[in-house]
Amino acid sequence: MSYTIADEPHETSLGAYVVSPSAPLLASMMCGAWMAWPWFAFNAIAMGSPTKKKELILCGVALAGSALLGAIVLAFVDAGWIPLGTPFKFAMLAISTWKLAFAYYISTVQARTFHVYEYYGGSVRNAGGIIGTGFWLKGIVFALSDDPLWIIIVSGGL
Amino acid sequence: MEERQIQVLIEQANVQRNLSNWRGAIDLLQRALSLDPDHAHAHATLALALLGARRLPGAGIEARMALHLDGNDSFCHYAAAHVMYAERKLDDAWAHCLVAIETDSHDADTHVLGAAIRDLRGEVTEARELLQTALELEPGNTAALTKLARMELAARNFEVAAGYAEQALRSSPSNTSAHVVAGLISLARGDHAGAEGHARFALGQDSTDHDAIHLWAAIKAHRSPLLGLWWRFHTFVSMRTEAGELGLLIGSFVVMEILTILAGHFDLDRIQTILEWGWLGFCAYTWFAPELFKRMLANDLGTVALDPDF
Repeated sequence: MSYTIADEPHETSLGAYVVSPSAPLLASMMCGAWMAWPWFAFNAIAMGSPTKKKELILCGVALAGSALLGAIVLAFVDAGWIPLGTPFKFAMLAISTWKLAFAYYISTVQARTFHVYEYYGGSVRNAGGIIGTGFWLKGIVFALSDDPLWIIIVSGGL
Repeated sequence: MEERQIQVLIEQANVQRNLSNWRGAIDLLQRALSLDPDHAHAHATLALALLGARRLPGAGIEARMALHLDGNDSFCHYAAAHVMYAERKLDDAWAHCLVAIETDSHDADTHVLGAAIRDLRGEVTEARELLQTALELEPGNTAALTKLARMELAARNFEVAAGYAEQALRSSPSNTSAHVVAGLISLARGDHAGAEGHARFALGQDSTDHDAIHLWAAIKAHRSPLLGLWWRFHTFVSMRTEAGELGLLIGSFVVMEILTILAGHFDLDRIQTILEWGWLGFCAYTWFAPELFKRMLANDLGTVALDPDF
């Protein structure tokens, strides 16, 4: 049996659906978090990433964190502590920064495995069509609920 | 018998490493470790091969495994220092390098590595001393001469840098690193043709050499102002650690957003529009420029050939 190096991805049956980690990162900006976090998670599983657990936890923390921050901001708005207008925009900027930082960080972690995955000749799917579809579906997803917290959670980092 | 087999595999892997055939070296070392997964030397050599293949996380695990298995071996400390230097953990890298130097004080390469670490810590005088020691141990050591040339180049002492690069090329005329540094010096002096000659030679020796590709990209960046701007930005960002890179990018985004919000707050609509469009342009440029740059580079590297007059 050959010695396995700890950074090597495991072979999975979903290898044909692997995309470059920059695709979910771009999706987080163009389409929204509703697409980015599940896509990052799926990509980690499809790639057989040895850091899969870490990546899944990061996706979970990013999602839970944006929900928590969103809930806090909305509670502060309801209480009148954050007036609508410029202060509200700054509060939303904090949430956007949170999402963007996590998207960049997960993409960086996933890129390490992706580099090894490509090194061993793993197939990579073009993600242009998926991002295009996500961009088109964005409006439908946002309209699923008129709760402002929903919009905060599913919207993008930009 | 098994130990002999492992030694042969490690020796073959070292031959492949010297040829920059990282994949070949990694395969051989995996075979060696299949025979004995607790072989410290094989783990340390594998760490260096993985580093060559730019697989830093794997290299880090292997180097630490080697140290765990044999904490007294100078080569294990040397490999660990190399990996930690690449991880930019400079204090740990220097601590391991020092152990390697103290255990085997006659190895010039360990002194060169020590010099690289101390140079990055800003201890230029100490780095020079280590390089002089390396040259005393092994006169004409190409790695030491190349490093000295790079340090002089960084200090913009082009004449002195060129002198060291010439010595390195005399000592080892086909050495890729020596040609790369000679090319960088030519480029800094504005001699694009000279730089290209060295880059072509280096790429002819090893078309996968990262530094040679970097030199080629730098030459191209000098010729294309639009893509050159991205190259400079990329070099500036990638000089940082991953955390630093993330901080810089997110920090730029936050600053720009704050300025945009403030412009809106004070009814400076024109400035707000300029900021928004400027940021959008910057995002689009930094997204597409690397793709264009990579394509241009791939086309060039596919046709690169040595000038017959070089």
